[in-house]
Amino acid sequence: MSSFERASPALKEILLRIYNAEKAIEVDHHLYEFGSVEYYIKSSASEPFTYLSISTPLLSQGVFLSYGLSPYTLQMIRDISIDALDIVEPPTDGYQLTLRLDFSKLPHNKESLKVITEVSSVQAVILSSQLKEMLQNVNSWDISQGMYKPIKLIYHPREPFYVIRQPEKIVAVFPMRFKDHSDVIIATSFFQELMDVGSSGKWAKVPPCNWSPIPPPELRGEPFEDLSTNGGFVSFDISSHHVEGKRLDKTVWSLLNFYAYVKHHVKCTRGFIQRRMRSRMDSLVQVLEKSMIQENGEIKKIKGNAGWKKMKKWMKLTSKSKMIKRRCHDFTKKIKRIRFRIKILGFGRLRRRWLTMPNLSSSMGYTKLKNTTSN
Amino acid sequence: MANPLKLYLTCVRNTLEAALCLQNFPCQEVERHNKPEVELKTSPELLLNPVLICRNEAEKCLIETSINSLRISLKVKQADELENILAKKFLRFLSMRAEAFQVLRRKPVQGYDISFLITNYHCEEMQKQKLIDFIVQFMEDIDKEISELKMSVSTRGRLVASEFLKQFL
Repeated sequence: MSSFERASPALKEILLRIYNAEKAIEVDHHLYEFGSVEYYIKSSASEPFTYLSISTPLLSQGVFLSYGLSPYTLQMIRDISIDALDIVEPPTDGYQLTLRLDFSKLPHNKESLKVITEVSSVQAVILSSQLKEMLQNVNSWDISQGMYKPIKLIYHPREPFYVIRQPEKIVAVFPMRFKDHSDVIIATSFFQELMDVGSSGKWAKVPPCNWSPIPPPELRGEPFEDLSTNGGFVSFDISSHHVEGKRLDKTVWSLLNFYAYVKHHVKCTRGFIQRRMRSRMDSLVQVLEKSMIQENGEIKKIKGNAGWKKMKKWMKLTSKSKMIKRRCHDFTKKIKRIRFRIKILGFGRLRRRWLTMPNLSSSMGYTKLKNTTSN
Repeated sequence: MANPLKLYLTCVRNTLEAALCLQNFPCQEVERHNKPEVELKTSPELLLNPVLICRNEAEKCLIETSINSLRISLKVKQADELENILAKKFLRFLSMRAEAFQVLRRKPVQGYDISFLITNYHCEEMQKQKLIDFIVQFMEDIDKEISELKMSVSTRGRLVASEFLKQFL
């Protein structure tokens, strides 16, 4: 899963460090990111190249992607920088793509930063190129009984979405699922606002958005487990106007990040509600404080439950004395251990017989009288 | 304040003024114990008739009185699902921090959203009129707060939706 930023911040930092180093440095990093994305960066002082390997789960295991990356995707990656970037065939074991970077061929100006940023966002390039290809070239063999078959795209294991090709438009359908009931309500309110905003005159150029609690008719025939949701179904109607030129990239990126966007909004709303409740509670407590009976012109502050606090204090005191006793006992034990660290055979018996202090008096004991009378 | 709400709150205030005449009364069953009789309900002669004040089907206030304690339970208006979860969250938030309020009960009475328990000790420490003002103010503020929260959530949703759709332009 990608974040809203395309470039991976950790990867960008490492590449910048290699680029800005005065002399070649040894780098051997494995990076793991959200959504099972793995990067492997290797750079050595003996070689002028840096190798970057990427492993990312692909969008769909459907008709279009039999194995590896498509030529369209590879071409998109090469277009990042023709001079400084080269694709290594075959890729490193366990990875789908390995790039060879030559930082010496990068220009020494702001352009280099742009190239490094684009290299850091190669995972986003891979995923969005797959969706771009699907939006542009849908196989006509998928038309069954006059209907276009929905293509299931798995961007995140538990969050698939569907792309359905129709005459003059493409429909993207997102089944929404949430763990908490309150998340469902907040998200539903958001979807209704999305529909309202999208249908207003000011936003006529954006893809029309629809929300329904039941699956749309285009998804009939899909497996039941994919269609069982608690947040309903959100669909966007993408027309050719939305995928022309530079808009294709923005549209694809927005669709890929829709789930993340919604989840982020729900999380921020919960945080907002919590902050608001906390500040309201403080104001309510202040009102109650005013009702306290004034003593010497001062309002007594509410100390919570004073009785319970006294009890806590008393318990603390008793436990403190016990703690002090225990500490003394441990201390004397330690002293004894230090003093008697040197063991002398037979000394223990000697000590017990001659060096112990006699018990002079005992409150419970008695002194046995000698038997004076004889039988 | 709207008229129906004002009438409702006035009725609650008048009832509280009559009901908040509490005195110290040790427990009749256990020696040297002093318990709020309205919670135990073991001695019927110590309990007064409970008063139920309904604004409408969704909003009501139950006032149960005894010789040494008073319990007020409130049911808050919840027009839709969003208000339902906001009210639930907010009132649960307050109930969990009941020690800050002293007179608030940690768990509401069944069938109600929030409950207060006022004992004779509270009446000794706090001024009766101001305590009643607090309860009435609380009822007013809860309604207002839930409405404001709902509006804030909708406004936030609208802004976020606009920002999302801007990406398609």
